[in-house]
Amino acid sequence: MQTTVVGSYPRVSNGPEGQRLRKAIAMWERQEISREDLRRVQVDVLHEVVAEQAAVGVDLVTDGNITWYDPLSHFAAKMDGLEVGALERYFDTNTYYRRPQRVGPVHWRGPMTVEDYSAAAAASAAPAKPVLTGPYTLAALSAEGASEELVMEFAEALMHEVKALAAAGAPHIQINEPALVLRTDLPRGYNHIAGLVLRGKGNAKTTLFTYFGGVGPMLDDLLMLPFDVLGLDLVQGASTLKALAVTDVEKGLAFGLVDARNTKLEDPKAVAKAVLAFKDRVPLDRSYLAPSNGLEFLPRARAREKLEVLVTAAKLVGEATT
Amino acid sequence: MSNALRTTTVGSFAKPDYLQRARNRHSAGKVTAKELDGLTRQATKEVIEVQKELGLDVFVHGEMERGDMVGYFGENLPGMRPGELVRSYGNRYYHKPVIASEVRWDAPVTVDLWRYAQSLTDKPMKGMLTGPYTIVEWSFDEHYGSRREAVLAMARAIHHEAEALAKAGAKYIQVDEPAIHTRPGEDFDLAVEAMGVVVKGVSAEFHTHICYGDVPKIYPGMLRLPVTQIHLAFKNANFELLHLLEADPWDSKKELGLGVLDVHDHHVESVEEVKEGIKHALRLVPADRLWIEPDCGLKTRTPEEVRKKLRVMVAARDEVRRDLAL
Repeated sequence: MQTTVVGSYPRVSNGPEGQRLRKAIAMWERQEISREDLRRVQVDVLHEVVAEQAAVGVDLVTDGNITWYDPLSHFAAKMDGLEVGALERYFDTNTYYRRPQRVGPVHWRGPMTVEDYSAAAAASAAPAKPVLTGPYTLAALSAEGASEELVMEFAEALMHEVKALAAAGAPHIQINEPALVLRTDLPRGYNHIAGLVLRGKGNAKTTLFTYFGGVGPMLDDLLMLPFDVLGLDLVQGASTLKALAVTDVEKGLAFGLVDARNTKLEDPKAVAKAVLAFKDRVPLDRSYLAPSNGLEFLPRARAREKLEVLVTAAKLVGEATT
Repeated sequence: MSNALRTTTVGSFAKPDYLQRARNRHSAGKVTAKELDGLTRQATKEVIEVQKELGLDVFVHGEMERGDMVGYFGENLPGMRPGELVRSYGNRYYHKPVIASEVRWDAPVTVDLWRYAQSLTDKPMKGMLTGPYTIVEWSFDEHYGSRREAVLAMARAIHHEAEALAKAGAKYIQVDEPAIHTRPGEDFDLAVEAMGVVVKGVSAEFHTHICYGDVPKIYPGMLRLPVTQIHLAFKNANFELLHLLEADPWDSKKELGLGVLDVHDHHVESVEEVKEGIKHALRLVPADRLWIEPDCGLKTRTPEEVRKKLRVMVAARDEVRRDLAL
């Protein structure tokens, strides 16, 4: 069993050196440094978090979403047809995002994540996985909500992004769809939407990750989607465990069993035991252990400790299944 | 003081550079607690002077002693321990505290500085507290494992603090609950119950401040909160939220705090746009129950931006009073 992360990683840590990105952004906002100067610091911190994940032993790392203002506006601000608006609470977290507002047809303007992916891939000993906010979540959290037309426009735009990432050599691409947990069924036509997003993926493996809640009622439908791996939040979405217990799964799962929203540390043995309960129903050799969602809700040192829990638990699973 | 369109602010003011530097040096052990306290009082005095100069009606002490609204209680309530930095949004971070054991209240936390600030002016000084739901929601709970238990324990602690402020003479006490709409369907009732615990038997006028998030989901339910005034951030979305009050009338006994300045925008509003917002609100809430305030705490803006924005707010209020002979 391998380990991975969901996307974000804490971008500051204690001490002056750990705060360099925060300081650089403040200086850039005051026009005291150039965009190039800021980018240098961003890439430096991006390299640091990639190295940190790999050093702990995570098998499939991310860029930590270090350059994202938030998971919505990072994309909305780089697509045509959208403006970035008022601050809104991001799900039930204490973080906020700027709400996208469609002002015209939404189009892909150019790569939004490729540069960061390439920076991560170049610095990482482990394979890097770019992460995109999915079409349903982009639409659902925008001002107009998830109309079929808007979801489709986002899907088309993301298709170009996936293609660009595949062309840049991404071995594994992840689509994050937290807004699916707000529903009890898949949005109409989501299978087609997912197919459209993934059309240009080439040989890249793909993951769909849902988090901030359970997806039990739509688990079967999610498993039918054209992704190689389905990522599940099994902490805040512990209700999914019930559905999972009676489902035979053919594709890999990313078991989000380590709580990425609470500092309390899990016992790796308990995490391993929770995974092993599914050893006869889920192909663990194609599955991952993961945090329940992005790790940036935790302080940096604790995020690293949570990764250590993941890696230790995955080893225990490996030992128990070989 | 006319009761028509009273002005106040939401709580925090920007810390002057010398205080921020001293706070950093204090963390590094290079400035003593006594020295820091002296500078905190100096900065508090300056905040009072600004409010005097602007002619606000109800003052705040500016929260010069607080890093942030939740972390401060995390540092001072027994049972909590200060946390490390986590990001809130954009480039803003806060020290997210940890509830490590049973939360208690042993002694007043905010009263000393409130008393000092009140001694500098005849204008009423608001007591400033963070609400129990928000403190729990914005902390890591390693102890209770049940949000209900944690929130009600926190409410009891904050109740003691409110009682201490009222005993010291605070006429107005603001209990901020910006996290109240985090899970509107699941535990809004819990937040209302907790506010009931905070205010019970305390002789003061309670205000609460709610900002951003999904306000439509808790309106008109929020009118059940046992407080005199509910303050909301309106300018951030160009007064769009006033449409809620058009659909469901505001409570005839409650005051509305109208946020008229976007504290996350460097742009200084024009007097005209603020006046327009006030006049719109006046069609829904009478002037003696409508308070004019910024959207949120002002610590996100520079001292100069704060002055400029507040000047616009007061000028707009004065012009509306004149225009409508209030």
